[in-house]
Amino acid sequence: MVALVAAGYGFTRYRSRAKTNQAVTVARKSLLAMLPTFAAVFGLVGLFQVFVPPSLVERWLGAGGGPFSLLVGATVGSVAAGPPAGAFPIAGSLIEAGAWMPAVAAFIVSWVLVGVVSLPFEGRVFGWRYALTRNGMSFLLAMLIGLAMGWLV
Amino acid sequence: MFQALRREVLLVAVASLYLWAFVVDRDGAGRALASGGRVFLSVVLIIVSVFGILGLFQVWVDKKKVATHLGERAGLGTILLGAAFGTVLVGPVYVIFPLLFAIRAHGARWAVVTAILTAWAVKIPMVPLEVQFLGWRFALARTVLTFIGAVIMGFLVEWLMALGSRSKGEPGAARVN
Repeated sequence: MVALVAAGYGFTRYRSRAKTNQAVTVARKSLLAMLPTFAAVFGLVGLFQVFVPPSLVERWLGAGGGPFSLLVGATVGSVAAGPPAGAFPIAGSLIEAGAWMPAVAAFIVSWVLVGVVSLPFEGRVFGWRYALTRNGMSFLLAMLIGLAMGWLV
Repeated sequence: MFQALRREVLLVAVASLYLWAFVVDRDGAGRALASGGRVFLSVVLIIVSVFGILGLFQVWVDKKKVATHLGERAGLGTILLGAAFGTVLVGPVYVIFPLLFAIRAHGARWAVVTAILTAWAVKIPMVPLEVQFLGWRFALARTVLTFIGAVIMGFLVEWLMALGSRSKGEPGAARVN
């Protein structure tokens, strides 16, 4: 993986040195900016693995719940405050703890598409009608995708 | 100082949880920290690669050209293009939204804007991270489903916006509901 990216950079360096250096700077700055978030997310993962009993996950996000689990997954995702990259490690922990895969898929999709925290901002930029419509539909989409994942995977 | 705290809400929340954990179960808290650290180390190379990709995209994909292009046309092809563009977009919400607003101001239909925003859930540069945590079958399925979903959402939201609205999703109505 690293080799691929390095090769990519080698190639672009050949095309344009200035732009490549710019890319490195952007990459480095973005990574540093994300470090607090990554620290938080991996810290959360650790807490999860030690303190959250699988029975709890089973109850709220387990396969037995079916549509309820989907709803819970989508709801938790929608209130998530943080970059989407944070969703993956947490999702992995949820699966390991025994959550139903579709519910976790709904969780991820909802995390990215539905933002209770970013709603005001979205409302200001695009108008409240759009913001509410899109977020509402995205919530449903999150559950639908979760369901579809259950059939496909 | 408070500004920084406000920005990193998640970190503050998790740090508080750890504080509580240390009080309640010192041993467990230590184990949690170690566990989290282990997981982090297992993926640190991938994270670095992901940001490398990010940097490349940021610099080599000309957003302005794409924005203009997406704003000026209005067919199914544009929606698909929008969705494709959305999958490779990376950035925080407060960067993506203004970009989308600019695309809308250039005349894009709601369908295009919504497709881009929904496709943004794919996050191609982050896929390696997703594969690491959830497996490539999961990542592939979610990517495909989200892409299809993006196109459907585009049409759906545009249609909903047109219902009971005089503007009918016409461009140039960027500031009006």
